[in-house]
Amino acid sequence: MRASLTILSLAFGAASPLAAQQTSVVGVRPLAFGGLFPGVPRAVLRTDPASSAQFDLKGHPNGSASLTFLLPAVMTGPAGATLPLVFGGNDAGFSASQSITSQVGFDPRTSYLATFVGNRASVFLGGTANPSVSQRAGTYTGTVTLTVVFF
Amino acid sequence: MHTATKVAGLALVLVAAGAATGRAQNNASMNVTANVFRPITVSADRNLVFGNVFPGQGAQGMALASPSAGHFSITGEPSASVSMAFVVSPLSQGANTLPLSLSGTYNTVDLPAGSILGAFASPTAATLSGGATGQLFVYVVGTVTPAANQAPGNYTGTVQLTVVYQ
Repeated sequence: MRASLTILSLAFGAASPLAAQQTSVVGVRPLAFGGLFPGVPRAVLRTDPASSAQFDLKGHPNGSASLTFLLPAVMTGPAGATLPLVFGGNDAGFSASQSITSQVGFDPRTSYLATFVGNRASVFLGGTANPSVSQRAGTYTGTVTLTVVFF
Repeated sequence: MHTATKVAGLALVLVAAGAATGRAQNNASMNVTANVFRPITVSADRNLVFGNVFPGQGAQGMALASPSAGHFSITGEPSASVSMAFVVSPLSQGANTLPLSLSGTYNTVDLPAGSILGAFASPTAATLSGGATGQLFVYVVGTVTPAANQAPGNYTGTVQLTVVYQ
């Protein structure tokens, strides 16, 4: 009886997957378009070290991960005003070395399967903001969510 | 004992299933931010008026503080850097022209005394005031020099000011 109980205890401990304990996604830097002029689009490249968004991932060496963005169509500003955002087919990048200068570009609008080399990697994101000529002045914000499934 | 063995066996099966899947899901959210600048407005709220001038009497004009000085008001994003560009058309009456020379100042408060405008032919960099609204005021004065044989009449021209963020 006592032996059986011991086995049961170990089983529940192991039921928490090892992968879940060793993986993480952390937002490091927001996607910042800075000052915009009404009617003048502004693109932020994924290679922009100051303005592109950066997520740091912790995974398993040589492991794979599926990267899926939830992208906003607009940012919201004063009195509910909205500012359109566009994400293109090359606006996201994966770096197995966590280097912004060494990325593999991918389309953030679809899931991407990335491969780790070490146990850390980074994902970068750019995009384009399109303020209208009559865009209301003020501060606009939105939210980007990156979901990572580690294999 | 028999019952305990069954429970342990079930737990092991569950663990095996989890290991076979071997996946973990994480997510993180990030802000996207922007600050839309206020549009720039430029108002020509007082004309530059030379009034009556007389042939052959040299350059004739007015002081910066004169009510005859031209005046522009500019508003935009507080503390933003801007560039001011002028286009000055000839002061003319038909085919006749009156020699014109312009000068001026700009200031974040509405006073004639301020920074000297450079050559009107090239843009001038400036900074809008801080506070609730970015402001800048431009005063334009000048001289006209009618020739001794200047054709009489009303001469008109325009001073166009364009301000853009830089």
